[in-house]
Amino acid sequence: MEKILTKKSFPAWVKKLQSYTVYSPEKQENLWSYEVIQNPDKLNLEHLNTVLAPKKITYPQREIFLQFNTSKEGKPQIKEVLPEEHPAVIFGVRPCDAKAITLTDKVFGEEPKDPYYWSRRNQTILVGLTCNPPPSPNCFCLSVGGSPHSKEGLDILMTDMGDKYHIDSLTKKGEKLIKAAENLFKPASSKDKKELEKIQRESEKKIKREVKDIKNIPDKLKDMFESPFWDEEAMSCIRCGICTYLCPTCFCFDITDELTSTLPLKGKRVRTWDTCQFPDFTMHSSGHNPRPDKASRLRQRMLHKFQYHVENYQDYLCTGCGRCISLCPMGIDIIEILNKVREHE
Amino acid sequence: MVNLEEIKKEAKKILEEGKVKYIIGYAKSSKALMAAPAFVKKPEDIDKLIWDPTCFQNLVKFLLDEKRKKAREKEPDTRPVGIFVKGCDSRAINVLLQEKFITREDVYIMGLSCEDLGVLDEKKIFKKLKGEKPEKIEFDQRKNIVISTKEKTIKIPLKEILAERCLECTSSFPVISDVFWGDRNNRSPKEPFKSLEQIESLSQEEKWDFWQQQLSKCIRCYACRSVCPMCYCDECVVDSINLAITADTTAEEKAQKIKWIEKSPESSENFGYHLVRAMHLAGRCIDCSECERVCPVDIPIRFLNKKLEKVAKELFDYKAGLDPEQPSLVSSFKDEDPEDFIR
Amino acid sequence: MAEEFEPKIIAFLCKWCSSAGSDLAGVSRMKYPPNVVPITVMCSGSVSPLYIFNAFQKGADGVLVSGCHPGDCHYIQGNFYARRRIALVKELIEYIGLEPQRFKMSWVSAAEGKKYTQIIQDFVQELKPLGPQKKLRREK
Repeated sequence: MEKILTKKSFPAWVKKLQSYTVYSPEKQENLWSYEVIQNPDKLNLEHLNTVLAPKKITYPQREIFLQFNTSKEGKPQIKEVLPEEHPAVIFGVRPCDAKAITLTDKVFGEEPKDPYYWSRRNQTILVGLTCNPPPSPNCFCLSVGGSPHSKEGLDILMTDMGDKYHIDSLTKKGEKLIKAAENLFKPASSKDKKELEKIQRESEKKIKREVKDIKNIPDKLKDMFESPFWDEEAMSCIRCGICTYLCPTCFCFDITDELTSTLPLKGKRVRTWDTCQFPDFTMHSSGHNPRPDKASRLRQRMLHKFQYHVENYQDYLCTGCGRCISLCPMGIDIIEILNKVREHE
Repeated sequence: MVNLEEIKKEAKKILEEGKVKYIIGYAKSSKALMAAPAFVKKPEDIDKLIWDPTCFQNLVKFLLDEKRKKAREKEPDTRPVGIFVKGCDSRAINVLLQEKFITREDVYIMGLSCEDLGVLDEKKIFKKLKGEKPEKIEFDQRKNIVISTKEKTIKIPLKEILAERCLECTSSFPVISDVFWGDRNNRSPKEPFKSLEQIESLSQEEKWDFWQQQLSKCIRCYACRSVCPMCYCDECVVDSINLAITADTTAEEKAQKIKWIEKSPESSENFGYHLVRAMHLAGRCIDCSECERVCPVDIPIRFLNKKLEKVAKELFDYKAGLDPEQPSLVSSFKDEDPEDFIR
Repeated sequence: MAEEFEPKIIAFLCKWCSSAGSDLAGVSRMKYPPNVVPITVMCSGSVSPLYIFNAFQKGADGVLVSGCHPGDCHYIQGNFYARRRIALVKELIEYIGLEPQRFKMSWVSAAEGKKYTQIIQDFVQELKPLGPQKKLRREK
């Protein structure tokens, strides 16, 4: 269903969504971040790439699994803690971040399904925004099977057309959102649809960076496991964890027990984000570490994203958002590494 | 004046003579405003070395990796590593020497003076460019930076976009080196800790609100720790991995294991991590401000460390990294140490 | 009538002087507020900033570090190191906006039972109007 919504009426639509927790990009000092809307009149969808992807809402950094306690007789008591009922709408989702959410959906959707992830995910409605211009100088979504106007994973796709938005409702959840303020929307005319196509073509041309012939890379990587190539590339890595924490597709986690008291034994079992780039990520309890050096960890990140995930799920575990390139403190560039892999003997 | 060709000549010479294993320097990266660390092993590769205000990384961090690598080799190559250092970086080497983490023979220090400038601050430039991508940059003789984007070309005086720490720098030239380029003019800013006033002048509740707001952004990516050359502990206080957990480990054993700071990014834990890190760096931090530069959520970490630097100077007359023979701040004392706060 | 707030103080007392001093206060039946949880450490110089921050994280309303007088340390120099380190911790705590009255250091010898009781009494009086410490406390 294609509709038109004037920019003037946009706050009115948001105000009708009282039953949801509405998130949108907000500028805090110099950085953009998805936060709960305080004032719908001040909504701004001209954002650059946020530091943390919207995955922080569907898959937060800290999740409580269960609480445990000891009764007076010394018996253990365990209580499951599922996330609260939390219908949410996120505005201004970039198509790359939405596609990333579909990738994590596949991983957490395997049997047994992760109830914590899905109780949030099922209640989250993603409203996307066509990237025109691209939000980051390092965007390369076109190279990994995405596009600045891709609909994958979105419930609605909005496109900025000057003084109005083109609204493309893609799922039942999206239609429900539109029905909440039906009178604000007009059907899209054929002129609007032509304008939309023009904007979509333009948006693709503005993506400057690319990885050529990415289809050959998974096989190339397979042969490069023992190569000293990784030692060279990883020399400037400082194993900080920024690339993985900001990546919208990364999903590795750690489970720890946080105790509030030892006698009686009381506490919570908590899941937090973790990263394969930390040296002790693969530390075994014997003290052996199969990935003791930076080269093996960089290799792991590249192979996971561009070979293992391709073999298991037939898709790259990268949506070309460019955050890892923009924020790596030492200038390690995933596009350059892939290009070098392609040229490697 | 620091001449790049002379630097390259010396670099080529020591590589050809086999005097050093390899040289850690700066090269161009895919981002116009930032140099990337370069590891030059062969004399024919020295042309990729650059030296300009985009070279802001602290390369001393990579000496730690070198030490770890040597520890794993059966017959390690004992030649030194050549490293380019600026004034601030050289003091990091002094601290590592002071703590006997490396020996003087492990490094061949190639000192570069910033003269009367410093390094640029990417974030300040991005603010001026308002989201446009810098495609190409040039430095002209009159100490300006000329930035070309797709849309336009703008010229900004370097003094406007220098890193904050350069504006407060007291020694813009390396204090320890084997070879040296540039001048040795001391800078004496009248008030070296002036930037702290914006926080010190706040009321107690305002201070708390400021730090609470800033540290709640922390995602505990530990980039600040990873980039700091002084953070070299094999097991950091936040990592607590030293208990082998097997299937037989009882709940009591797990409970009694000392874990000072939890992994969750809760406010109390974030404070715990940053405060402990500031304490562990007291008297050791040399204000290269890399921690603040790398933070992806823009926490002003430098102000925490700078405060203790000021306390060290004012209460104990101590400055980190000036002399590899000086004792460390917290394992030394003077009879005159203040005790008016003790009842 | 509402219950009056009773602050909880964690005191790190060095074994040879301050802890003995607090014992003397007890043995002499001196009266002082029961708000203190004493933790004996071998020397005030062994008190790490982690102990102090952790005490606040676990809900302490006030933290006291007490050691031997300068020159009397059982380990000769431990309290001199403590004097430096605790000065740094105190500056840092004040800098982040935690009430500076919540953190104190004292020299208490094994004979100064009375001084110890006075320190605790004054500490409790200072903490009562400040209320519970919520800033660094872990969430339940």
